[in-house]
Amino acid sequence: MSEDDSLRQEFQIKGGDFVRAGTVSCAIKNLLKEIGLSAQVIRRVAIAAYEAEMNIIMYAWQGRFDLSVTPDRVRIVVEDSGPGIEDVELAMREGYSTATPEMRELGFGAGMGLPNIKKNTDELRIDSTVGRGTRLDMIILTNGHKP
Amino acid sequence: MTATNQHPLHISDEKCIGCIHCLTACPTKAIRIKGGKARINGDLCIDCGECIRYCPQDAIASGTTSFSDLNAFKYKVAIPATVLYGQFDNATLPNEILFALRRIGFDYVYELSTICELNNSAIAKYIDNHPRPRPLIASTCPVVVRLIQRRFPSLCENIVPIEPPREIAAKILRATLPRILKISPSDIGIIHITPCSAKMVSINFPVSMEKSYLDGAISIRDIYNPIFQALRQSQDETIMCHLFPETIFSGIGMGTALSGGETRGLKNHRTVAVSGVKDTIRVLDQVEMGLLKDVDLLECTVCPDGCVGGPLAVENRFLAKSRILRLVNLMGERTVIDNSDMSTLYHKDFLSFQNPIKPIQALPLDEDPGKAIQKARRRNKLIKILPHKDCGACGAPDCATLADDIVRETAVLTDCPFMKEAK
Repeated sequence: MSEDDSLRQEFQIKGGDFVRAGTVSCAIKNLLKEIGLSAQVIRRVAIAAYEAEMNIIMYAWQGRFDLSVTPDRVRIVVEDSGPGIEDVELAMREGYSTATPEMRELGFGAGMGLPNIKKNTDELRIDSTVGRGTRLDMIILTNGHKP
Repeated sequence: MTATNQHPLHISDEKCIGCIHCLTACPTKAIRIKGGKARINGDLCIDCGECIRYCPQDAIASGTTSFSDLNAFKYKVAIPATVLYGQFDNATLPNEILFALRRIGFDYVYELSTICELNNSAIAKYIDNHPRPRPLIASTCPVVVRLIQRRFPSLCENIVPIEPPREIAAKILRATLPRILKISPSDIGIIHITPCSAKMVSINFPVSMEKSYLDGAISIRDIYNPIFQALRQSQDETIMCHLFPETIFSGIGMGTALSGGETRGLKNHRTVAVSGVKDTIRVLDQVEMGLLKDVDLLECTVCPDGCVGGPLAVENRFLAKSRILRLVNLMGERTVIDNSDMSTLYHKDFLSFQNPIKPIQALPLDEDPGKAIQKARRRNKLIKILPHKDCGACGAPDCATLADDIVRETAVLTDCPFMKEAK
């Protein structure tokens, strides 16, 4: 299936915008339901997208989601301008978090964000430059076998 | 029986003037105005009754049992929802209301608050026995169950598989009344009295069992006046009721008429209570994205403030709520059910669902995902050219829904009056 057959949609996310937290992932989730993908695939996309969206809201200044959907896979490229991740390997560890006490009070920052994204995607690429921002490229296959 | 017949909401073509109040009020965008009259799409309707509240013409009615339907039964048994106790003035005690129901023709009247408490402690037991998944979601509100089946299919497994109080009560009565009263089971008609527009569907088309134990549901709206008249005419009996209260009420159970009632009884669990259909949808969206995992029980009631805000209630919900809270305080937090009774019924599976709740496949844009993607692309283009006024003049609730209808081939672009002008 070529890129021309895919559904592409872009979403903007503002850092610190806790009020609208989750609206983009929710819109993506509902869109995938209308495409008719399986509930399990949609659930994985929704969880990964939500974590990525929250990462932008919590840590970055500005970010965007670039969604593309084909019958075979859902791909979301997440790009933000923000502080970047110093040690990607460390950030991938469950429980590791740089969240401030205020964020933790709101129930975020349990250090499950990136590990949760990893767990729910079939392919994940993280590129980050400290002081510039982070780019996540995540793919969920619609016939994937991950739980 | 076709899909649309399953729904209890009927729009009277005589009364409907084709305005847009119900159109914009519907939380699942199930209504369209076609040919100047409102039409409900049964595949999208969740029976919440929001449209009934918003219709200024009183053109939308809910199919409930009428009093005369009960004549089919030799013995008429009523199980009123505890919301009924909040419908009359503060001086009217629950006992008097139950007495009045007997005066207007019910042979037996059974009080539901104790069963509500039983249900509550069964849910607590279920939570303790099942560490996963979280959050569990209470099944008492039939609209929430239907909403989950349709819009949040992956959450079906989170529903607590314990039957709601009304069904448990009817099941117990079905099992015992014929023996105790020495009457034939087929002569007994068990009716729920309810403020809810969805109970009739849950009785006629139950999702968790083969056949409901109830024979019907009468709306509080329909039965209010007969009860009111009976209360007026029975001053002497009022004194009797006051001096010889024959029924035990449960304060814990009574509280379940209000949002937060089910969670209030669960002292040792982490709970969240949500009411109102839009907020319920918002919270279920969050659960589907993996949130609220640290919550044991999520109680959702789609009516504002809980069942007390049901569309078929008569008294305004704030007054009704205040009266029920007064009763709850009066009765206190004393448990009236025997925990070993609950335990026995629980372990006999008497309280649990017969069938698991299954997802109802929502209609995608197309059966073929490839074609669905093409349609979604076309829909995006249509949304761009539509005027974004969300005026409802086309017969769809908003521009995005019109675009959706166009790609689903149930509407055309020129349904939009602004598009006509552009031509």
